[in-house]
Amino acid sequence: MILLPQAALAGGVLGALGLGLLRRPPALAVRALTFLAPLAALLLLPMTPAGLLPPLIAVDIKCLGWQLVIYAAALPLALRSSADDVEAALFLGVVLGMGLLTAAGNLPMLFLALEFMSLPAYLLVARAGTGEGGRRLEAAVKYFFAGALAGGLFLLGMALYYSQTHLLGPSPRPVGLLAQGGVTLMAAAALFKIGAAPLHWWLPDVYEAAVPEVTGFLSTAMKAAAVLFLMRVVQLVPSANFAPLLPWLGAASSLFAAVMALRQESLQRLLAYSSMAHAGLLVLGVGAWARMGQSPVAAAAILFYLGAYAFMSNGTFGFLAATGLRTRAQLKGYARRQPGLALAFAALLFCLGGVPPTGGFVAKLLVLWQAVAAELPGPAVLAALSALISLGYYLGLVRDLYFEEPVMESPAPGGACARILVLVCAFGALALGAAPLLLKDLAGGFWR
Amino acid sequence: MSPLTLLWVLPLAGAAACLLAGRFGRTAARLCALASSCAHAGACLAVIKPFIAGGGAGLIAVGGEPLAFGVSYLLAADGFSLALIGLTSFLTLVCVVSSWELEVSAAYWANFLALASALCGVFLARDLFIFYVFWEATLIPMFFIIGLWGSENRRHAAVKFFLFTFAGSVFMLLALLALVSAHHGATGVWTWDLQALKSAPLGAAGPWVFAGLLLGFGVKIPVVPLHTWLPDAHTEAPAAGSVMLAGVMLKMGLYGLIRVAFPLFATLSEAWAPWLAGLAALNAVYGALCAMAQTDLKRLIAYSSIAHLGFCLLGVLSRTDQGLAGGGLQMINHGLTTGALFLMVGFLYERAHKRGLADFGGLAVRAPWLTFFFGFSMLASIGLPGLNGFVGEFMSLSGVAHSAVPLLSVPFFAVAGVVGVTLAAAYALPAYQAVFWAPEAPQSVSGRVTDLDAREKGILWALSALMLWIGLAPQSWLTLIEPSLRGLVR
Repeated sequence: MILLPQAALAGGVLGALGLGLLRRPPALAVRALTFLAPLAALLLLPMTPAGLLPPLIAVDIKCLGWQLVIYAAALPLALRSSADDVEAALFLGVVLGMGLLTAAGNLPMLFLALEFMSLPAYLLVARAGTGEGGRRLEAAVKYFFAGALAGGLFLLGMALYYSQTHLLGPSPRPVGLLAQGGVTLMAAAALFKIGAAPLHWWLPDVYEAAVPEVTGFLSTAMKAAAVLFLMRVVQLVPSANFAPLLPWLGAASSLFAAVMALRQESLQRLLAYSSMAHAGLLVLGVGAWARMGQSPVAAAAILFYLGAYAFMSNGTFGFLAATGLRTRAQLKGYARRQPGLALAFAALLFCLGGVPPTGGFVAKLLVLWQAVAAELPGPAVLAALSALISLGYYLGLVRDLYFEEPVMESPAPGGACARILVLVCAFGALALGAAPLLLKDLAGGFWR
Repeated sequence: MSPLTLLWVLPLAGAAACLLAGRFGRTAARLCALASSCAHAGACLAVIKPFIAGGGAGLIAVGGEPLAFGVSYLLAADGFSLALIGLTSFLTLVCVVSSWELEVSAAYWANFLALASALCGVFLARDLFIFYVFWEATLIPMFFIIGLWGSENRRHAAVKFFLFTFAGSVFMLLALLALVSAHHGATGVWTWDLQALKSAPLGAAGPWVFAGLLLGFGVKIPVVPLHTWLPDAHTEAPAAGSVMLAGVMLKMGLYGLIRVAFPLFATLSEAWAPWLAGLAALNAVYGALCAMAQTDLKRLIAYSSIAHLGFCLLGVLSRTDQGLAGGGLQMINHGLTTGALFLMVGFLYERAHKRGLADFGGLAVRAPWLTFFFGFSMLASIGLPGLNGFVGEFMSLSGVAHSAVPLLSVPFFAVAGVVGVTLAAAYALPAYQAVFWAPEAPQSVSGRVTDLDAREKGILWALSALMLWIGLAPQSWLTLIEPSLRGLVR
């Protein structure tokens, strides 16, 4: 029972592979499967109880919350994917890996889930979409090497940890230096996956080269899984040596990415750096969570951030997919051509910038609040600076969109489905600005 | 729905209605904007009149329905809030009427009404979360007003305006978070209620938190080293945008100081008062000196705003009855006089597409009504006795001179203020002379300038009447704002 959503996804993967055996897989069936499997996982979530299948599986409230965000964040790509059965199997495999990662009960399972989620992702980056195949292949290889390095670091860390504690799960007692080193290596692997500086070098290239829908998926669902991964590593020992570094690392990473994004001409690369800036804030949130004794309030704040970001990032990358825009120059004056889409994009940008009254504001507020409550004024100030610098390029994009004259031909926008997706994401991101205040029972449960 | 909720919801609904009406053409949107702003002005009057009749000492409050995160929907209005809400509503109406003949889309009107809604929210909120949300929400409509309908350099000015204010308010937000967390640490209760947070124990972090708040409000006033966004934003905004910027949005900073920062940090604000007063005096003198150096009429008025806000701040810092009332009154005065001046520069620009002092001359012959109203507003602005500016500045400066705050009553501050007043005449009169009375130069564009029409005269009559009213009989205005200010700062 506790693995119902994962079972639905596994069924989806098997179904896609089965369809692949046919000489000519029916396109409609492949599309339906791609969309329905994550949707079914999402719908099965409320019926899924928390529980244990020792030693491999442990499903707790955090696991369920994260699954909610991951499956929801995967839906846009599910909706937009092509009728290719291999792509369908790869995509569902990644989501299944994420689902397993949230439920991993011990370290070997965590590693297995990590690889399960990563390997198809490399192929998905290389394969999804048409045109510019060479660049995507290069990015996928880069992604693969970064991922392999992260996997190696994790294994090495696990070995060190095991060699001293003889444990494959959390240690109730403080551990020695060797095991601490092991935990630090495992955390480095997680930071690699999140894309926090200085372990981020693969991220801009991969996020830029992949098709926008895939980048939207990687920057939301994959990021959510990676953040949970980091939190699981922090939970291994009562006081991890690296934990005090996390807030500073996160804030510095966010600041660095914000500065880098300022000068980007390619929209997708700009949004890639923007995604890295948001990831930095999440790492800051994890640092605050660790410092406050893993408070459920801080975990809820991180989860809310991930949920809001799922809307924002899927929406902005969806906008790129729907419009076919690639550079800032093409964006100029776009509001005159497509007022509806442009308005949604502008709303998403204000959300990303954290301007009230949007969901992005509440998300940033909650994470900064946790940092202040955890008595981390330095990282909080750095994060605030990063938010300010980020706003510089988000406003720059709104300026291009609305205040400039159209200077060059922009590509024809895509189909109705892609446009509706952008509008839905924008609406969701805005609505999350009011929802936490109105749904006080939901938020209050976490808050008390 | 409570009347206070109505005060901010009404213009927002009006904004939405304008967008819908825009589907039926520009006239429909325009009429809708006029109807909404009239309705809002009516609602304001309906709230303010009984309030004044009741002596002006009361407080109208709404609920405290608790929401999540310790936030509660808490609105209240005392005389000070109501005066600023009245000013917002009146100037919004002025903006709508003055832009009547512009060929603009429905979004123009919607942005002005949304701005009015957010501003009213700022002046009503007593829960700091709600206050912050409204505070930031004012930026979005103004960003679009400057960026879409401003003059040549509007794109740059819009982004600069947004970023500067956001820079201040991000630190204000951190300060508020520290305050809320400290209160929770001491009592175990999450709350953003301004009243409750007065008891939050901050310890050694206190000065930092206060500095964060000062930064947030100081950018908005603007206090001198933080003022560099103002000349660009005010110059590039469309005329009506400048009216709202100078008339109401600058007041947000002082309002925040008086409503939030000073009550929360009573001892610190008294200890730091001499330093703040030094900055205020610098505002008054430096703003005036910069204004003297300008060759663009609109930029000149923008710098004069910096100087005027210095007087307001000085008065408030003095903590005397006179100074407080004078500072508060001067906030209203500045909204009226500078609003009128920006409007007239806008009328000039609409006709001649120039704003330079050297581009005109001889307008006194070509446009006598414009000359009259400009002279009237300018004299009010530099503090001619009998008009509103005199009352505000005199009370502020005499308050500073009699202040009981240590170091503040030294002659330096009052003298700096007097120097500022003198300099005001030194920048305003030559500009007035150059544009209206000097002989027309060969390259002058005065030939394009026609005199005001009935609509424009009507607006300016209304503004001038208010200036004269405050100048001759300030008592009714003082009864509205003075009692609440006295309670706030002491």
